[in-house]
Amino acid sequence: MSPSTISSQNKITNNRIISFAVVIGIVFLVFIFRLFFYQILNGDTYVALAVENRLREISLAPTRGVIFDRNGIVLARNVASYNVVVTAANLPDDQGAIQNIIRSLAEYIDVPVSRGEIIPENPFVPCVSDHGISQIIEYGEQSAPFRDVKIACNIDQVKAQIIQEKSMDWPGISLEIETVRDYPTGSLTASIIGFLGPISSLEEEYYTDRGFVSNRDKIGYAGLERYYESILSGKPGKRVVEVDVGGRIIRDAVPVISPLPGQNIYTTLDTRLQQAAESILLGEIGGWNAYLGELRITSGVVIAMNPQTGEILAMVSYPTYENNRMARVIPTYYYQQLYADVRNPLLNQAVGAELPAGSVFKLATALGALNEEVVTPEQVITTPPEIQLANKYTPNDPGKSKTYVDWKDEGFGELDFIGGISNSSNVYFYQLGGGDAEELGTGIPGEVPEGLGICRLGTYARALGYGDYLGIELPDEADGIIPDPKWKRIAHGENWSTGDTYITSVGQGFVTATPLQILMSAATIANDGMLMQPTVIRQIEDAEGETVLSFKPEIKWDITVDPVIDVYSDPTSAGGCEAKLTGEKITVDPWVVEKIQEGMRAVVTEGTLEDVFSTFANIGIAAAGKTGTAEYCDTFANEKGLCIPGSWPSHAWTLAYAPYDNPEIAVVAFAYNGGEGASVAGPIVRRTIEAYFELKAIDSRAYLP
Amino acid sequence: MRNISWRHFDFWLLGSVAFLTVFGVTMISSAIAGNIELVEANTVLKQIIFAGIGFVVLIITAMIDYRYWGALSSFLYLAMVGALGVLFIFGNALFGSSRWFSLGPILIQPSEFAKIVIILILANFFSQNIDNIKKPMTVLRSLVITFFIIIWIILQPDLSTSIVILVLWFSLLWASGLDIKMLLIAGGASIGVLGIGLPLFLLNYDPENTAGLIKPYQLDRVINFLFPDSNARYGADYNVQQALISIGSGGWFGKGYNSGTQVQLRFLKVRHSDFIFSALSEEFGFVGAIVVIAILAFIIARCLRAARLSSDTYGALIAYGAATLISFQTIVNIGMNLRLLPVTGLTLPFVSYGGSSLITLFIAIGLVESVLLRHKSLEF
Repeated sequence: MSPSTISSQNKITNNRIISFAVVIGIVFLVFIFRLFFYQILNGDTYVALAVENRLREISLAPTRGVIFDRNGIVLARNVASYNVVVTAANLPDDQGAIQNIIRSLAEYIDVPVSRGEIIPENPFVPCVSDHGISQIIEYGEQSAPFRDVKIACNIDQVKAQIIQEKSMDWPGISLEIETVRDYPTGSLTASIIGFLGPISSLEEEYYTDRGFVSNRDKIGYAGLERYYESILSGKPGKRVVEVDVGGRIIRDAVPVISPLPGQNIYTTLDTRLQQAAESILLGEIGGWNAYLGELRITSGVVIAMNPQTGEILAMVSYPTYENNRMARVIPTYYYQQLYADVRNPLLNQAVGAELPAGSVFKLATALGALNEEVVTPEQVITTPPEIQLANKYTPNDPGKSKTYVDWKDEGFGELDFIGGISNSSNVYFYQLGGGDAEELGTGIPGEVPEGLGICRLGTYARALGYGDYLGIELPDEADGIIPDPKWKRIAHGENWSTGDTYITSVGQGFVTATPLQILMSAATIANDGMLMQPTVIRQIEDAEGETVLSFKPEIKWDITVDPVIDVYSDPTSAGGCEAKLTGEKITVDPWVVEKIQEGMRAVVTEGTLEDVFSTFANIGIAAAGKTGTAEYCDTFANEKGLCIPGSWPSHAWTLAYAPYDNPEIAVVAFAYNGGEGASVAGPIVRRTIEAYFELKAIDSRAYLP
Repeated sequence: MRNISWRHFDFWLLGSVAFLTVFGVTMISSAIAGNIELVEANTVLKQIIFAGIGFVVLIITAMIDYRYWGALSSFLYLAMVGALGVLFIFGNALFGSSRWFSLGPILIQPSEFAKIVIILILANFFSQNIDNIKKPMTVLRSLVITFFIIIWIILQPDLSTSIVILVLWFSLLWASGLDIKMLLIAGGASIGVLGIGLPLFLLNYDPENTAGLIKPYQLDRVINFLFPDSNARYGADYNVQQALISIGSGGWFGKGYNSGTQVQLRFLKVRHSDFIFSALSEEFGFVGAIVVIAILAFIIARCLRAARLSSDTYGALIAYGAATLISFQTIVNIGMNLRLLPVTGLTLPFVSYGGSSLITLFIAIGLVESVLLRHKSLEF
């Protein structure tokens, strides 16, 4: 059968077929060019994109170093925190089974079955955002099926154990153990140890370059945690893994680099003494405030150190904060509360508060006056209750007469050098610091022909550790101010006046110092002129227990050996100090230091600390010290209307060291608005020293067989 | 029945087709590694079975004189329109889909076979009316014939198959000697219609109305093709972006069989069917991709050779239609892989996974062989 309806001739023309073939050929050529463009010309780009697709870098968190006190008591450590996580890919296929898991899980954690919706306006933030389990699981399914998504954070250990057991029946749900920082001593050592916080966007690049992960790893925000961040944090490890499109890890693409754990730090602190010092300080402040019936003393500091080595044994800064509250996440309301507090609890005031030094500064004046032979130790000077002095801004300025009073209404009468220190006579030190016959004016016998002057006073103060950073390992450290004419010109736009010199001589006026600087000035005297490097670090060990750094006492300088005293061509202030520098440098004669030690001893035996230390003699150890009552008028006092001329409020200072012959403990105490130094700060110092010797006795008994 | 001469059987054509099919199976095997569902569904085995069935069908088709199909043309037409119509009207109720007939585990996609049927019907129509091809009425009649097939497929809705059928109509019309003047007039008219219609359509387009002929995803695909968002991580453009990464990272010789990271780690989607060209480009590189394109070009050329050798117009148009079908699917599929054309569901002939598509193409090759077996011997 031959279909007749079909013509038996091929009427399709060649040109129609060829034109079709040409079109197809052109298109195929375009494809080949396109392939060449992608695979050969731009191959590298796409190879890079393919690598980016399949390789993922995983940073392995290092263990942060532990911080101990000098006896091995833990001050900062890492503890486990438990999170409930979901791995969406491991959930059962059956929706009903998933619902059952969600409902059973909700019974154990504080996350409801369903709440809110994850939308750009209400995004999912692990541990923070408020979403239900269903929403979080849905989020996990959609965005990270093979990764752990946190459902509940920081659940307690008992619940964690239950969920750990139950998770066998709940495929996809598991328990994640995260380490968080824990501070067993909490607020007791918070101002030294500090706390951790998230990596801020400003520092993100720095830390991510070093392998840290910005929303996982935390960095030190304060204290040693911040100062020794790089030592404590260790080095993150790295895994480069091949992942599939779902994010599931297939294999390690390169050998794993293990994280390097952080190093452990042993501080010089003695937690027991720290504890004692804190309770003594709080007890004293609380006692006075209760006695006065008002919240008068608002902050305070105690520092105890070994003056021969520079080791800080205790450092209390009140008020402080509870660093454990910042361990997992910094609570906004708590941080804002601390931040808004005018007493500045976040600041370690022991090293960071710049305060008027008051009479404790007289040690610097005394040192200079003896060494520069302004007075002799035996020279007796008349000290009336007040003196009228001309306050001159230039050498030829006749000056306005101004009254400078002593702290004791009836005056001290005749005082020699030891008497001047032990009684802390202002008039005595006005004359040492600024006195000369001409400047003292009428009515006052010119017993001090040429006073120390601001320039020489400054160099002796600096020799005792004032006016510059001491280099302690705490980030809050401040340098304080030792004023001179140039500083005043810049800071106040005014000439230096003779009156400025008088009040600087007694530690008032522009002088500010940190409690640590004031302690160092006394420690230097106690240590026969050797200024030790103050430190809170005793030892640094790596994770294997090998010592990386071991503490050795370090002398910053010895004022009786190292020429640290600048010699000025003339003691007056006119023209500024720098112009009068001769370039020559001298030392302090050892007998001068001895004389000041004797003066400080007299403070305790017959001077301003006599009453406070009366009971101290019972333990058979000789102490020496100095008190300070630093008048101040800062913003807060002014707001309270306390700045009444002639009767300013005052901070209480006391410093002391013991034993007198071979000092092993030096303590400074400071009470903000504490009033008289001896009666407020004095007992704090005495009791802290007592506590030190008690602990020493306990330790020595403990070592007996 | 005339004597057929197996000497005229095009073994080069069959060989090329067999080579691509075997290569396709190997490539599918590599592409589905890691996808448990596809492995468990015995995807590779299914494709081998389809290829086996297809081979038998090819030989049978080649043995049957293609001219019988001409005699059966009206019947074929009515059967096809009927099948598509029944499927559209009752499909949802009977099989849960208006695209597939499901016979046990086997799904039959009649719209695939519609491609063959439309070639046979239009080849018959044009060969009978080739002398009147310049008359607009002839063109219009051919369009009406095509319309009753296409309408059901559009309604399924299966836009890409509809376009394939429309292209087959136009291509066969062109081969039959379409008046170029008429083409220019029609072209001008359609530009005019589109110029007015498209803005009107876009203005009235409602993405919420999913019952419409144009689905939102289809418009999205076109928009994504025209204005790609290269930052999209999981958007509609993601698949094409991953396809380009797969192709581009292949380099000269590829990453090796079973070693393409984009394929094996499943960054490349639908890599065993729509995007198998990207998969093979990644694993076999520029050279491999050129070889596949060259073999496809060779197959098309052999079909066109058959069209020229055919002893009659009907056979010539069948072979030419087969060439069009293979060419168009190849161009649309590779063009999509190379981001030259929007994403559609058209497979890469002989290589992509898909039973109906593979068998359809084998039938087309069988028809071409049937034409060749019966061409006028040039050896006197």
